Parts: sequence; C-alpha cells; structure tokens
Amino acid sequence: MVGGIFIWAGLLKIFDPLGFAQAIANYRVFPYWMSFMLALVLPWMEVICGAFLVLGLFRRSSALFLSLFLVGFLVLIVSTIARGIDIDCGCFGRFSQKVDYKLLLTDGILLFFSLNIFFQKKAKRRITHSKF
Amino acid sequence: MFSRRIWQELLFIAVTSTLLGLGVNHTLIRRYVQGEFKESFFSSAEYPSIAFIPLAEAEELFARGEAIFIDSRPEEDYGKGHILGALNIPFEEQKKNDLIARHSLPQDQTLVVYCDGDECQSSVELAKILHQHDFASIKVFFGGWAEWIKAGLPISVEND
Repeated sequence: MVGGIFIWAGLLKIFDPLGFAQAIANYRVFPYWMSFMLALVLPWMEVICGAFLVLGLFRRSSALFLSLFLVGFLVLIVSTIARGIDIDCGCFGRFSQKVDYKLLLTDGILLFFSLNIFFQKKAKRRITHSKF
Repeated sequence: MFSRRIWQELLFIAVTSTLLGLGVNHTLIRRYVQGEFKESFFSSAEYPSIAFIPLAEAEELFARGEAIFIDSRPEEDYGKGHILGALNIPFEEQKKNDLIARHSLPQDQTLVVYCDGDECQSSVELAKILHQHDFASIKVFFGGWAEWIKAGLPISVEND
C-alpha cells in the first residue's frame, strides 16, 4: 500500500515538474534553485522506492528512504503551520490538500507504515537466525 | 548503525533517481539556466497571455490609466492599503467563490495583478486563473505592494 501511494504521488509530480517546483517554492524554506532541483529529482525517488517496495526489492532501504522523506516533510508541515502560511502541500500534484493538521496526521500514518516495513524485516531476520 | 548493504542500496536509489530526474528534464534545466523561470515556475508557452512586468512598466500603465490593477492579497491586507484604484480579488477566496465573474472585468482590458512582493506567489496563481477565464493581457507586477509603496506611488486605504 505504501509503495502504491508513493508511485502514484511521484508519477503525478513527474508529469508536472514546474507545478511541483512552485509548490516547493511556496513553502519559502529552500533557495529558489533548490526548489527546482528537488522538484526534478524527488518524484523519481518516490517512484523508485515505491516500485521497489511493491516488487519486494531493496525493501528496507526503500522504506528507510521514504521514512526520511516523511520525517523531512513532517518538519516542513509543522514549520509551515507555525509560520501561518496558507498553501497546498503539492504532495499529490493537482489533487494536493492544504498544509494543515490533517496532512500532519496523513504523513504520520504513512511514516508509521514505512518504519514498520523497515523494522519488520529486521525482526523476521532475528527470528530466522534464532531458529538455527 | 546500518549495514554496508543498506548504504549501498540507498546510494543506488539516490544516484538512479538523480540521473533519471536530471536526464528526463534536461530541456527544463536548459530553460531554467536561460532564465525562463526567473519569477515563477510556469511555462510561458502554456500561459501566453501572462507577462511579468517591472515597477516602471506598472507605473506607466497606472499613469496612463490603461490597466485595471488587481490586488490578490487577503481582504485584510488590502484594507490596510493598496494601489490606488486596485480591485481586491483574494486568491484564496477566488478558489472558493468565482470573484472574477462577479467583477465583470472587460476581456480586452490589460490586467495588472500584484501581491505583497517577490516572496508571494498569489499574484501568479491568480494570473493563471485569469488566463483560464480567457483574459487576453495579464501582467504580473512581481515587485508588488512592497515595491510600489517603497517608490512612494499613489495608494489608498479605502475600498475602491
């Protein structure tokens, strides 16, 4: 599920890089050029990590990568709410929602599932090792 | 903290994504370097009726009375002061109600849209909506209220 969500979110942004660059610039956190570069690269990271999760390849690293994204995004949401900036998150292209507490909750839930994938395999490995 | 394998996989993901992102968008990068997206990230080919203008051009249009000025800031900010004669169409409000339709603006008139200054983007976003409403000549005065007031040009605190 987490993989699918990120593939969808990433693809929406890949098809509209300028829209995503503007969405990042609207947060007023990154320098202008960096908003542009992030808009070109981040969606591909989302799609690749999402696809790996779905395919079961590099599961832990993909989950870790996405968790780092989500933590960064959490910080960004909190700082945006604290500064009272009224903007769309830009996370799902044209289907993006407002940066508010609901978004914080959505991000938190995704982070929970993502971290769960990261730690799940580790736990399974330990069980497997203990059998032998 | 993490195994060597995890680090290698993270690096693989980062490098592959970066190469794909930069490779697929190489034409956009060239346009960026050429200065196309200096004020805002949108394609001028997609919005041909929108142009960015500096203070001097905004002042000239104002002096000649050739354009309708539109303030895209919230009503509260507009109430504190705005360019003399400017209409208020707050971008956030426009998203909920079609204020543009209510104002019955002439389609062939030049519209100058502005907000606080170069940090704000509501003027650009409102300009995009005006473009969708088929207005022929939309100018975004990107320096906005901050530049206008700094230059000591005519303002009003009344509802125009």
